[in-house]
Amino acid sequence: MTRALPDRSLGSEWTILELLARGIVDDPERQMVRDLLLTETLEWGELLEQALRHKMLPMLAYRIISAGLRFDVPRSIYQHLESALDWNRCQIEIFRRETVRVAQGFAGRGIRFVVTKGMAFESTLYGGLGTRHMNDIDFMITPRDREAVLSVMRDLGFRPFFEWAKDPRREEISSRLNPDHLPKLARDIDQPGTRTINVDVANSLTWTRSPFDVPVEEALQGRVEQPVPGMPGVSVPCFRPTYQFLFTVLHLFREAWLQKFVDFGSDVGLMKFGDVIRLVDRDRDELTGGQLLRIMEANNVTHAVAWVLRHMDETFHTHTLELLALERHGDEELLAAQMRSSGYVGAWGQSMRERLQSKTRGSLRPVAPPHSGS
Amino acid sequence: MDDITTQFEQCLRRHLRLVKPDSINYDVELVQLGLDSMTAVALLLDMEKTFNIRFPDDMIVEGTFRTARALKKAVQLLRERQPS
Repeated sequence: MTRALPDRSLGSEWTILELLARGIVDDPERQMVRDLLLTETLEWGELLEQALRHKMLPMLAYRIISAGLRFDVPRSIYQHLESALDWNRCQIEIFRRETVRVAQGFAGRGIRFVVTKGMAFESTLYGGLGTRHMNDIDFMITPRDREAVLSVMRDLGFRPFFEWAKDPRREEISSRLNPDHLPKLARDIDQPGTRTINVDVANSLTWTRSPFDVPVEEALQGRVEQPVPGMPGVSVPCFRPTYQFLFTVLHLFREAWLQKFVDFGSDVGLMKFGDVIRLVDRDRDELTGGQLLRIMEANNVTHAVAWVLRHMDETFHTHTLELLALERHGDEELLAAQMRSSGYVGAWGQSMRERLQSKTRGSLRPVAPPHSGS
Repeated sequence: MDDITTQFEQCLRRHLRLVKPDSINYDVELVQLGLDSMTAVALLLDMEKTFNIRFPDDMIVEGTFRTARALKKAVQLLRERQPS
């Protein structure tokens, strides 16, 4: 299905980022982004700020370089973008090696796991070009392996790390009360440009006390081995396509829906949607064969998934709801009612597009009033 | 040990919007008084600051603050263990 080109109502700068996030797949898109980048009135400050907010500097840099626009971009901005791309590529190299090191540690203790998010996507969905920004390395394990994983990570030189948050003690208490993840783990390394490696280990596809979930044990069955670029013969386990899709969408849902991610300034960004769009493009056959729908219905996650896809389709002119036969789902009010039982309540009243572009999301609140957590 | 009731109840009221103005039922579950996962974190932090205590890892569990009675008992225990 072809996608309509985005309208330019939110400005040329924003349109460029929307195009890059969803992926440039045909000549009209390629031409549009090129024309926009060559617009005389383009505000580079705005473009860079939004690219930074949405973790898209490396991707923007790659597009400018690959389109041969070096001499059409202000010199200092070009140099900065080029550096951002180079740095991200170095970071990814370091992360690849560390991922393998941790994965071998887990495997040595018989721990079942998968590598998720950036490390699973950068060489596949993003072609190993160094365009997928990465903050950390992500793994998924089962809840019963939490202590074993902590033990392995300590042996590998990692320590629980809360100082990334504005209020470390708040984060520490929150982490212990919400055991859907291990505490963030960090290891200092002696590498220019990357002083610390952060690892995030999840043991749930949703979150503690979520009204719906997909069992991790089920999701970890039938993993697929994914080669690690630059390391011949080495691979790491990843989710198979149906669960990769579910995990990625539910993760996006969690960050888009739960107020605490808005408060932390770490809620959903353009690239999270970009991951989903690319997954659907790559795994279309597996996702439309009926199995995905059965898993979603069996685990009561259909509305949450459809909510994400509805916002994605409206924002990026994709057609995923239709493709996955979910047109009837994703109703905001119904979802809010479903979520009430978990103490997380609210329906977002503005379009996802406006929300993504907003620089003052910290002041956003769900439309519905808070409800008893009983 | 001095009585912490007044400060303890003030602390509860700051976080639990469904607490009655005149009295607090010490045996009702705090989730019924408006506690959710975010206010639970804020409540424990406030208790730590108010009483100059620190909840050890093994006490940062739901059982510690299931009811006002359980939470007050935990605070009193930590004040005895961790005199300022």
